[in-house]
Amino acid sequence: MEFLLVHFERSRRVKVDDEFNGRTEVVIELEAGTHVVSLGPPDNFKPSEQTVVLKNTSPLQPREITFDPK
Amino acid sequence: MIRNNARAALLVAVFALGGCAHYPVNDPLSQPVATSEYRFNDQPSGANTNELFVCLTFSGGGTRAAALSYGVLQKLRDTPITWKGSQKRLLDEIDCISSVSGGSFTAAYYGLFGERVFADFRRDFLETDVQGALLGRALAPTNWVRLASPTFSRIDLAAEYYGDALFEHKTFQALGAGGKRPFVIINATNMANGERFEFTQSDFTVLGSDLSSYPVARAVAASSAFPFLLSPLSLRNYPAPETTKLTRDIHNGLDDFYTDRRRYQWAFNRAGYVDVAKRPYVHLMDGGLADNIGLRPIEAAYRRSSGFIRKLINDGSIEKLLIIVVNARTEGTDTISGSESPPGLLTVASKTATVALDNYSFETIQLFKDLRDERARAQRDIAACQEKLNACPGAPRLPRLANDIDSYFVDIDFYALKDPARRDYFLNLPTSFKLSADEVAKLIDVGGDLLAADPEFRRFLDTIAKP
Repeated sequence: MEFLLVHFERSRRVKVDDEFNGRTEVVIELEAGTHVVSLGPPDNFKPSEQTVVLKNTSPLQPREITFDPK
Repeated sequence: MIRNNARAALLVAVFALGGCAHYPVNDPLSQPVATSEYRFNDQPSGANTNELFVCLTFSGGGTRAAALSYGVLQKLRDTPITWKGSQKRLLDEIDCISSVSGGSFTAAYYGLFGERVFADFRRDFLETDVQGALLGRALAPTNWVRLASPTFSRIDLAAEYYGDALFEHKTFQALGAGGKRPFVIINATNMANGERFEFTQSDFTVLGSDLSSYPVARAVAASSAFPFLLSPLSLRNYPAPETTKLTRDIHNGLDDFYTDRRRYQWAFNRAGYVDVAKRPYVHLMDGGLADNIGLRPIEAAYRRSSGFIRKLINDGSIEKLLIIVVNARTEGTDTISGSESPPGLLTVASKTATVALDNYSFETIQLFKDLRDERARAQRDIAACQEKLNACPGAPRLPRLANDIDSYFVDIDFYALKDPARRDYFLNLPTSFKLSADEVAKLIDVGGDLLAADPEFRRFLDTIAKP
């Protein structure tokens, strides 16, 4: 498995490839490869989505991405 | 003369009508998409909880497999537990069943009719000469005419029989009514690429088709369409917007040839169905050709980012995971290796169709166990590092997983029997749809016995409060 950690100033559901999959500030376990990551509503974050390619992560060193308030 | 002409005309009419016989065609997707889509429902109903997540897999093996899996269901019914303060049966916590071939009869019947399986199924299927009934239908003169049609074959007759005798012509709408659990995944094999084909809305969406109106009996027929004995079952691939057929998951997977070959291949196989002119049909055979224990769909649901188990894990919903593989495999006597001259054409044809069925079953089991162990290691690593960090003043908290999961993997297999005579008895039972009542009774008993004796199952029960 690969590991992704999504940061946002508030706790929010995370969307991976258009489907809800985990929450912000909690490590999300995903298969390797290309994923489009976004957040659940309300639409008060930017960018609207981010593309990540997950490979060679670990639970202690997940890939980290941040969404900022809009 | 006139009478002879009339007879000839009648005969021509019968054959002409029979020549028009056509298998029931799967429906195109309705717009908007039906709300009764056959998908896993995140919200459990009744006594079921997500926190204790239980999945079963029922292997192929004709009536032998159907009876063994029935015995396991019966044992789960007779296993009381207390979970989250509620007293219930372990049966009430089953969330999904993935099945192949003979095991699909038990899975579909339980999915459709629930408790009725314990009243009717033994009489109506396990102790019935299904092979004889199928042969009877094939020999009926009215069916010769239908079978002469290029669009109606033996598998369609079999599906009719299963619908009449067992499944009451219920559709997948009934199987998934109200998002009930267990979510039953009936598996077949796509003849074009050898890939597993699931009778779920996800796989039907790629065909631009609506599963909810499709008869469960036809899915079970496809799942058990043993090579040569039964013909393949056909589905139509409909045109639909590319955005409907190819989810973002599939689109992204197509970029992963170098990053994740497994995901790429999954996406590539689905993308092939966008071009309806090139692939207007899908022909399905026995699910055992792709995976004879039915574990791959559960492994995919656990490992794939869009898998229904994965999403529950990432949401922190699952605390305890129990996977039970019911494997009715046998190993016939080796009649080939004793002779210097190579086997004849019929033996080669038969072996070509069946020899690979269980080749990779143990690999699939090990793959799932490795995934489970990897998760347990991640939990231990984070906990151990955090404990060391806790000794350092002002040290940050490490990233945490959504929830720690306590996982158990149970492998029901005749080879686990310690008594050699009892083990040999089951290993020599034939793969057929006709067993004696005594053989069925013994299979049901051994299913319960093997589950009760399994060390991992016993460890699981030790962690669950008894009423």
